[in-house]
Amino acid sequence: MKGFLSLIDNLGKAVLRNVEEAGKILLLFFSVLSWAVRPPLKFKNIMKQMEFVGVKSIFVVVLTGTFTGMVMALQGYHGFRMFSAESLVGSTVALGMTRELGPVLTSLMVTARAGSAMAAELGSMRVTEQIDALYVMAANPIQHLIVPRIIAGIAMVPILTVVSDFVGIAGGYFVGVHVLQINEGLFLKNITKLVTLNDIYNGLVKAACFGLILSLVGCYKGFNTRGGAEGVGRATTEAVVLASISILVADYFLTAIMF
Amino acid sequence: MQDMIQLKDIHKSFGAQKVLDGLDLNIEDGQTTVIIGRSGGGKSVLLKHIIGLIRPDSGQVVVDGEDITKLNDKQLNEVRKKFGMLFQEGALFDSMTVGENVSFPLVEHTKMTDEEIRQVVAERLKAVGLTGVEGKMPSELSGGMRKRVALARAIALHPQIVLFDEPTTGLDPVLTEAINQLIIDTQRNLNLTCIVISHDIESIFRVGHKIALLYGGKIIEYGTPEEIRASKNPVLVQFLSGSTEGPIQIM
Amino acid sequence: MPAISTEAKVGLFVLIGLVVLAYMSFRVGQPGFGLKRGYDVSAVFDNVSGLEKGSAVQMAGVEIGQVESIELKDGKAVVKLRIRPDVRLDRNVRAAIRTHGVLGDKYLEVMPGSLIPGEKSAYLKEGETIQYTERQADIDRLLSQVTLIADDIKNVTSSLSNTLGTPEGEESIRKILYNVRDFSENLNRVVARNDENFTEMVTNLKSASKEMERTFAALSQITDEVNQGKGTVGTLLKDKSVADNLNKTLAALNDISKKINEGRGTIGRLVNDEETVDNLNESLSGISRYINKAEQFRTFLSYRGEYLFDRSDAKNYLELRIQPKQDKFYLLGLVSDPKGRRQTIETTSNGVTTTTTEYNQDKLLFSAQIGKRFKDLVLRGGLFENYGGLGMDYYMLNDKLRLTFEAFDFGRGSNRQTHVKGYGEYRLIKHVYLSAGWDDPFNTSTSSPFVGFSIKFEDEDLKYLLTTSPIPR
Ligand SMILES: Nc1ncnc2c1ncn2[C@@H]1O[C@H](COP(=O)(O)OP(=O)(O)OP(=O)(O)O)[C@@H](O)[C@H]1O
Ligand SMILES: [Mg+2]
Repeated sequence: MKGFLSLIDNLGKAVLRNVEEAGKILLLFFSVLSWAVRPPLKFKNIMKQMEFVGVKSIFVVVLTGTFTGMVMALQGYHGFRMFSAESLVGSTVALGMTRELGPVLTSLMVTARAGSAMAAELGSMRVTEQIDALYVMAANPIQHLIVPRIIAGIAMVPILTVVSDFVGIAGGYFVGVHVLQINEGLFLKNITKLVTLNDIYNGLVKAACFGLILSLVGCYKGFNTRGGAEGVGRATTEAVVLASISILVADYFLTAIMF
Repeated sequence: MQDMIQLKDIHKSFGAQKVLDGLDLNIEDGQTTVIIGRSGGGKSVLLKHIIGLIRPDSGQVVVDGEDITKLNDKQLNEVRKKFGMLFQEGALFDSMTVGENVSFPLVEHTKMTDEEIRQVVAERLKAVGLTGVEGKMPSELSGGMRKRVALARAIALHPQIVLFDEPTTGLDPVLTEAINQLIIDTQRNLNLTCIVISHDIESIFRVGHKIALLYGGKIIEYGTPEEIRASKNPVLVQFLSGSTEGPIQIM
Repeated sequence: MPAISTEAKVGLFVLIGLVVLAYMSFRVGQPGFGLKRGYDVSAVFDNVSGLEKGSAVQMAGVEIGQVESIELKDGKAVVKLRIRPDVRLDRNVRAAIRTHGVLGDKYLEVMPGSLIPGEKSAYLKEGETIQYTERQADIDRLLSQVTLIADDIKNVTSSLSNTLGTPEGEESIRKILYNVRDFSENLNRVVARNDENFTEMVTNLKSASKEMERTFAALSQITDEVNQGKGTVGTLLKDKSVADNLNKTLAALNDISKKINEGRGTIGRLVNDEETVDNLNESLSGISRYINKAEQFRTFLSYRGEYLFDRSDAKNYLELRIQPKQDKFYLLGLVSDPKGRRQTIETTSNGVTTTTTEYNQDKLLFSAQIGKRFKDLVLRGGLFENYGGLGMDYYMLNDKLRLTFEAFDFGRGSNRQTHVKGYGEYRLIKHVYLSAGWDDPFNTSTSSPFVGFSIKFEDEDLKYLLTTSPIPR
């Protein structure tokens, strides 16, 4: 009986802890919101983060985007050939990229690159008392450190997604038209016909949400780091895992709402 | 003399470890108070209580007539504007250059032009014996240089109260003397209230108007350098003589 | 070469992104492009299922425009078409909805009509309507009918196969067939063997019928005699007392049935007793009341997080709301307050008693309240975060907005004021609420404005667990 009670107790505590963490992340988001509208915005920090999250991620995003588009074209071709509908390969690649793979792959890549770095950076600032130093100098760490990162996440991931969409479709075009010899005119016509503006824009809205998630989770984990270098490592790993899972789950719900 | 800071019956534990155990201490206005005590005795923790980075489990921290344990973040922020603090490990922002580090409080809290800021930064760095390092990153500096940059940052704004956590540890004798002189001069010229944590016996007596010994989570001796020298308290005697025999057990 | 500044890099990157986006949007949005300057005509159809805004309009396989809008008017679909400016449509063109491609896309085909002799050819102008439209072969309806029929057939065959398809069914069919065969064989044999007998039988029958005639005659004679009271039977039936007995028996029978009707006797009582009916009715209504009760009984689970600005910290609430009746509920809650649970410790030293207040941060706080709703106003009382208190909720905008005021922890000692909390909560979408308000405004150290977020959902299963089953008598 006692064991059973302690089981319930532990279970309840675990549930409450997770709920509490989700709540804390959300509340961090609220305070980020309240600081984001409170001047002065740290323009320089924002630029620095935008460069880090956006500009420096181009290479990896272009690489993954192109290859994804190429692979999709290759795979789609074998399927559509059975129905003699090879010309639909292009639109499949385009729809897949704009709606799903562009936003999701880009944000997973940025999570791995920048979300982890945010956690690591804030984490080491926490353990070397730099965050305390900010408090001591009457400067708010949320305003100085977190707001710029979150703005960069929300603004840059969609732009990277545009790039990823584009190179993905271009990769699909290259494989489809030049390697698999699909009729170029039909290939392009089906893309323009079946892809709508909404597909692109909804994909970008998703990307913005994912950008928010990855930067928020990265900052949260980093900001609440405890326990030296080991703690920094733990925070980084947790940030990547939690952000990736949240992105995939959020993707499901966003897709359900949008399409 | 009026008290700038009053610590009343402070208790603080980390888990089962009791660090501060009913500590009382008054810091006089316009004076330098040196806190000494064994390593790991809670000196840095005490300093963080004074500036509100750590809240006590119970007790009051009265700064300039205001109990800061009862304040919310916004009010605490206002109080902190009176402070400057040198962290034991420096806590320089390692994503910023030395110049940006030292100018940080100036940019945050003053309306100075870039040119004025640059001059002030150069001046403060010169005071701690550094020139031409504004463009370097903290990781490119030696430990002692980093400590001095942090010191320059702590006094950049000429705050009313400055907390120094071991300002001279890790410096050579000449620099130690220079930093002591810097603390003495700035304190005297600007009539600052300073709290200095130090392990360096000579510095203690040179810098401090008052000396407090933290032992067992309480201040067990407090007085002018003369009184401290004359004290027969066995802990103090052992501490000053650096003997391994006495009430302070190493292990 | 000077290093490119961060700002320049970011700016360039954003610019590239926007250009690519603009290019993609332009390419994708192209079908409608250039149609801006076209003209509109409309066509009325009985059914346009599958046709959509933006579907192509073709003539002889050439795209000449697209569907601009589809509206319902008097039970018919009015389709507005945007036609390219360089295409002119004859006044008597016909429009039809067609399907093409593997995807089964619907498009609108415009066909030149036959010139009606004597009528001058003219072109459709902006805003005019195409006169002739073809009914879309209603494949959907056809298909659904076919499905219905197929279903019927399936029902029949399946019941057949159910009876016949089983091994026993097969066995019995086989038996029946065997029997039929045996029977006909036998019949054949009998017929062949008894050919003569048959003729005999027939002659016998003939003579038998003659005999029968005679018998009938005799019979009628007997009845006559009976009527006249002659012979044994005659006396029996004509005897007065026998008739009386018979009458009596009949009367008794009658009586019994009457009694049944009146509800006497066991069966009668069972059938006729008012109470039985009442009992039956009552147990039925009891069941329904029970179901009703379960219907009324609702449980809600909710989580709320509040971010306290001035404390830069969060309070979390986990609440279970049990609502046995529409206007009454019990609230059980767990609250985690960063400040923790307050404990007052009295220490006496040197005869002086000092009271110190400490906060135990590991402890959760509890709420347990009972509440009642009066129209839009709810009054609550009970434990609020470990202290007794009162609360009031006012609902507005069809319960979308709730204004709440709570006061608790009245006796907080001399230096503490009553804990007061006021906030509004708004339902953003189903299950998700946003709130904002002020917590503990009268105590400077803990006073803070806050924003909150909560998730609430109703638990359907819990209610059946929690409703006990008090079926009345
Ligand atoms: N954030 C914390 N969490 C847990 N324990 C802590 C924390 N900060 C300090 N301590 C513990 O409190 C004690 C006092 O630490 P503190 O840093 O104040 O020592 P100190 O007197 O400054 O020593 P030193 O002269 O070596 O700097 C140590 O035992 C340390 O382990
Ligand atoms: Mg220390």
